[in-house]
Amino acid sequence: MQVRGLVKSFGALRVLDDVSLTVDAGETVCILGPSGSGKSTLLRCINLLETPQSGEIYLRGERVGFREEGPNGQVRMSEREMAHIRTRIGMVFQQFNLWPHLTALGNITVTPIRILKRPKHEVEAEALALLEKVGLVDKRNEYPIRLSGGQQQRVAIARALAMRPEVLLFDEPTSSLDPELVGEVLSVIRGLADEGRTMAVVTHELAFAREAADHVVFMDAGKVVETGLPDEFFGSPKTSRARQFLERYR
Amino acid sequence: MVDWGMIANLAGGAVTTLWISGISIAVGIPLGLALALTRVFRLPLLSQAVTAYVSIVRATPVVTLALFVFFGVPAMGFTLSPIVAAFITLTINTSAFHAEIWRASIVDFPQGQSEAASAFGMTRLQAFRLIVLPQAWRASLPPMVNEMTFLIKSSPAIAVIGVVDLTRTASRIAAYTYDPLPPYISAAFIYAVVVFSLVRTQRVIERMIVRRYGVL
Amino acid sequence: MIDHFARALTQWPLFMTGLLNTIWLCASTAVVSLILAMFLAIPLMSHSLAVRTVARLFVDSVRSVPFLLLAFMAYYCLPAVGVKLSSWTAALITLLVYNTAYFAEILRGAWSHLPPQQEEGGRAFGFTGVRLLLYIIGPQLFIAAGPVLGNQLIQVIKDSAFLMVITIPELTFKANQIQSILFVPFETFIIAGCLYWMLCNSVEWLVRRLELVAQTRRAR
Repeated sequence: MQVRGLVKSFGALRVLDDVSLTVDAGETVCILGPSGSGKSTLLRCINLLETPQSGEIYLRGERVGFREEGPNGQVRMSEREMAHIRTRIGMVFQQFNLWPHLTALGNITVTPIRILKRPKHEVEAEALALLEKVGLVDKRNEYPIRLSGGQQQRVAIARALAMRPEVLLFDEPTSSLDPELVGEVLSVIRGLADEGRTMAVVTHELAFAREAADHVVFMDAGKVVETGLPDEFFGSPKTSRARQFLERYR
Repeated sequence: MVDWGMIANLAGGAVTTLWISGISIAVGIPLGLALALTRVFRLPLLSQAVTAYVSIVRATPVVTLALFVFFGVPAMGFTLSPIVAAFITLTINTSAFHAEIWRASIVDFPQGQSEAASAFGMTRLQAFRLIVLPQAWRASLPPMVNEMTFLIKSSPAIAVIGVVDLTRTASRIAAYTYDPLPPYISAAFIYAVVVFSLVRTQRVIERMIVRRYGVL
Repeated sequence: MIDHFARALTQWPLFMTGLLNTIWLCASTAVVSLILAMFLAIPLMSHSLAVRTVARLFVDSVRSVPFLLLAFMAYYCLPAVGVKLSSWTAALITLLVYNTAYFAEILRGAWSHLPPQQEEGGRAFGFTGVRLLLYIIGPQLFIAAGPVLGNQLIQVIKDSAFLMVITIPELTFKANQIQSILFVPFETFIIAGCLYWMLCNSVEWLVRRLELVAQTRRAR
């Protein structure tokens, strides 16, 4: 997955300022930075939830969000096309965003069955396997209200995996959790990274980033300030802003 | 001691009240949803018309509406029986209130869930059908049942245009027996039973929903 | 159609009579019922189960009966037990009894949600009994329940139309009178509808203004 020269403004506020990013297949990239640096907006642009003012996004080499035709240059993709692209990109939200009227199993199976039109028994079998993988198969018939934050987030991860996405995006997956629940979610994400999934994780959990990331991206005030291998970045950061950031969070 | 003839008569009137109200509710709820959707999806022209319609109907007394339908429609050339006029009146009235109930539960929808729906590849229509609507109707159940009790309590308006409902039956009995207390008190009792059951049902539904899904 | 409207509008004195009757019926009901409701709210919140049950029974019974039926009961049943009364008296009695029950329930609801610190604070300053109610709790209830009370007031206006059946010359009665004379029912009732709409919206507007005033008085 590749992002080039992304610019996004909300009114007068420029949130993303010429941001570029590459996530190779099988790589786990952790995106770090202070609040307001544009990390979440970056993920939302990748998943076409926000439209950048300019810039390009590529998934497996093909352009997404815009089509390369038309006499005036770019034509924005239709809602249907964008929806289709989004099924190839999995997303896990900070607030979990499980759908409360569906059970855990229901949350996981509704999109593959209804949107991808896959056969029900196949989807359900896979969903149960995924629940087993995140350690929640006994909660399959529970409604989200009965699940703890950590459990809900794990169901949300299973939900994203059920779509068999090419890329997984995590938007601060543990920021809304009580400290004692953070570990269980991080270990699931770590497991996915070890499996070789293509992932971009926005997080504040620096220890986790150091262990799990193949590649670290540090953002500040809408710009990519520094990138590098985790040991390099955490051990000897090259820029002063990165140093300041790491000092504050030590 | 007990005047079974009167009870039978009143029962007949009660049945009329209930089935006319029932059908008005059955039509009014989906009609209300359709009206609400024109406002939710901001359909041009239609949504403004619906907003005006809902505002006017909700401010109009049911009696006035009944007279308007009963006398006004024939004046435009159509013939109308009292029962049909009663249906139209109650349906128009209740649909306006249900439109507001639907709109309230759809418009205030938590953004996070819609975003998740979008992120997973649902179009707006799919997200509405699979995520918003199933929750909206569950959340709307308590106020809908509440509106049903209001409808039952407004239903005597149809007696004014000649439908022999529970209230008119009671009036008739009082008129020819010259003894108004038994029929009116019995009629009041029957209404009370119906309303109490509805209120009970509403509380049970509310508790079930909160227990199963939390606050929707 | 325009000429029909014009014809209906020639009867504007009758419309006005009806409208004014509706207004004064509803306004006087609102004032008296609210005062009575404050007193009824006390037994509803009573610590004694017996008192509370009796009050509860009264309020729930009145609230589960249609307004028109209650009007009939006042108009036909009371004379049958010896109470002679005019249609106006019957109308007022019905309006008062019915709306006192509704207002009392609304106030009770607001009262039960009132943080106990309010009452405690009042007592700490030496307010007891009626004074406590009048100066501390009462105003809080009205501020908290303002919109709901306003809603009920709109309901009062709409229920008043039922009184046409016991020959009270309020707005709907007058509109019916006009349309039966002039044979322009469609236009007549549209005018009546508009007048009701203006009335109800005025109440809503008033409630919103009072809400704003109340908010400036709140310590939040």
